[in-house]
Amino acid sequence: MAASSQTQQQTGIYVYGILPGDIELASDIPGVGDPPGEVRVVHSADLAALVSEVDLSRPLGSPEDLAAHKEILDASAADAPVLPMRFGAILASEDAVAHELLEEHRDELAGALEELDGLAEYVVKGRYVEQAILNEVLTENNDAARLRDQMRGADPDATRDARIQLGEIINNAITQKREQDTRALGNAMTDHCEASLVRDPTHELDAVHVAFLVRVDQEKDIEDVVNDLSAKWEGRVQLRLLGPMAAYDFVGATEPEG
Amino acid sequence: MTTATQSGGGVSPGPSPAGLADVIDTILDKGLVIDAYVRVSLVGIELLTIDARIVIASVDTYLRFAEAVNRLDISQEKEGLPGLVGGMQEGGAKHKTKGALEGAAEKLRDFAGDGSERQTASRRGSREES
Repeated sequence: MAASSQTQQQTGIYVYGILPGDIELASDIPGVGDPPGEVRVVHSADLAALVSEVDLSRPLGSPEDLAAHKEILDASAADAPVLPMRFGAILASEDAVAHELLEEHRDELAGALEELDGLAEYVVKGRYVEQAILNEVLTENNDAARLRDQMRGADPDATRDARIQLGEIINNAITQKREQDTRALGNAMTDHCEASLVRDPTHELDAVHVAFLVRVDQEKDIEDVVNDLSAKWEGRVQLRLLGPMAAYDFVGATEPEG
Repeated sequence: MTTATQSGGGVSPGPSPAGLADVIDTILDKGLVIDAYVRVSLVGIELLTIDARIVIASVDTYLRFAEAVNRLDISQEKEGLPGLVGGMQEGGAKHKTKGALEGAAEKLRDFAGDGSERQTASRRGSREES
């Protein structure tokens, strides 16, 4: 464990996140690395960090590594506030975690944990059902309908420009719908969340992708909201509610959307 | 619809299990950055960087949408023909599945790093390239 000098260090201490000092390791979820490291708790006063030893000679970032990072933090998120580290945080020793990280930034970290007390992050993700959304656009947009008619039965090579134009119209229309539907989701959630953050779409058919900071005891309420919306958008959008998870979208020095 | 495979076993608790794609979306560029807190005993490691690509509309996107409209037309035109309905529906379903799998494959390919997408050191897990 010693980080005594600058000798070739073979292992490091991977840091998952920071929690209140009174937590106990309940589960034995394997850590990152291959073979997976054993997750331990490093304490310093009223703070704790979840860590595991990791072999520095092997790159990190396999699907297992990423899943482990998230599962370890999310497992605690329903019961205790968690400050998640970005994936890949490694210090030289447990001693460094206790002193350089926890002790030296105690006030800031403890303050952040206090703010997160009783809260967890939930993510609502929705994907448009392709056929339904295309029909919607073609019904609402005359230009799109006209271009579609123009393409019908025509030689695909001859209509390349028209197809590009049609696709662009559809893409723009979906972007608009995404904004509308994201607003609708935000409005429906506004009474049930402390904060929200719209995430970038990760797919061209993404309908909504929003992170919410929610009181854990209001989980049922947001489930209801999502179920209602899901019913309203039946056949049009496939909605999913993910969480509770650590508040990944609501920590960090940089203030989202200044 | 969770399409990504849950590798490593263990389903996370909560309303809906998170697939690999959800994990990527969540932990890659979010969370506390440790350099902001600690510099002295920071240790570098090679991180396989994952390109969680943000949608940038391109001609390819447009052509894909146009192609989808074309498929839509075909399936709707054939709806009236009883003999073909079953087959067409199957075709439609196949398309959907394929799309989903392609999405998953894309994510997985990014995961594997592909050699070219690997990036050495820089423990920021940086996504500077855009």
